[in-house]
Amino acid sequence: MLRAEDEDASELKLGDVTMRLGLSDFLKAKCLMNSEVAILLEHRCDQMKHMSGESMHQLPQVLEKSLQYVKRFSRFTNQGSVKQVREVLSRYQLAEFELAVIGNLCPETVEEAKAVVPSLKTKGRGHDDEAIDRLLNDLMMIKKFE
Amino acid sequence: MFFHIVLERNMQLHPRHFGRNLRENLVSKLMKDVEGTCSGQHGFVVAITGIENIGKGMIRDGTGFVSFPIKYQCVVFRPFKGEILEAVVTMVNKMGFFAEAGPVQIFVSNHLIPDDMEFQIGDMPNYTTSDGSVKIQKDSEVRLKIIGTRVDATEIFCIGTIKDDFLGVINDPTTA
Repeated sequence: MLRAEDEDASELKLGDVTMRLGLSDFLKAKCLMNSEVAILLEHRCDQMKHMSGESMHQLPQVLEKSLQYVKRFSRFTNQGSVKQVREVLSRYQLAEFELAVIGNLCPETVEEAKAVVPSLKTKGRGHDDEAIDRLLNDLMMIKKFE
Repeated sequence: MFFHIVLERNMQLHPRHFGRNLRENLVSKLMKDVEGTCSGQHGFVVAITGIENIGKGMIRDGTGFVSFPIKYQCVVFRPFKGEILEAVVTMVNKMGFFAEAGPVQIFVSNHLIPDDMEFQIGDMPNYTTSDGSVKIQKDSEVRLKIIGTRVDATEIFCIGTIKDDFLGVINDPTTA
């Protein structure tokens, strides 16, 4: 069980969250964007419907709620573009957590990006405004051509 | 945030399930037992996506049950303090509002709603700016920051804020 003090560590910088998680099973965990979760869960739902056939009463509540949520907040719906987003973002030396937050929220300006992912501001990581701007442009292009 | 993670669990199986379907029985029992549960450490287990490895079974003394260590991949939802995410408003009252992000409930107190938003009572209670341009009511979509989580063995509850730059309403159901 995590203690309250452990949890506090995540407050410092979002990028550190994954590092702190290194203590537990989250070591090998991969952060997922909502769009990716949507694809995974839809697959799982199909599988469940297939298995139980006609007698499908209802999806489990957690699954149902999560599916509704990720469908509502998916920025990218096309499987190809979801893959592309991850590819493009991983060129920018982002931590897993940062990548997923940016992919989920799709900030439009450099200011917004730095507000939602405060760890981008850390000096010496090569994320000057210009680099962030390029990143956001790349993201916008994928969205446009989806 | 959703994570794809590998977890381990010991599953106890009754001998009547042994036979050539042992593996299937084991996996379907695992899904039934684990999916939809919530632990403070890993968050909500949303769906199992794959089985990595099933270890050797061990017969339990005296019962005949056999326990198998199983490593499985699953999608979990675990909110973290400091995380920024989007959520759907489910209830508004004078204390603040509740929002839902997937399986998790988030409460935003009226102290953490910008000061220029006032509570309006009525059949559709809401928080509105004085010029009426921004409104938070049931079904609004908001972007919020999690500032606290209460984690116990079977539940996760969050406290959030929208009193910061780039937080607040992203989609109003009445104008959409």
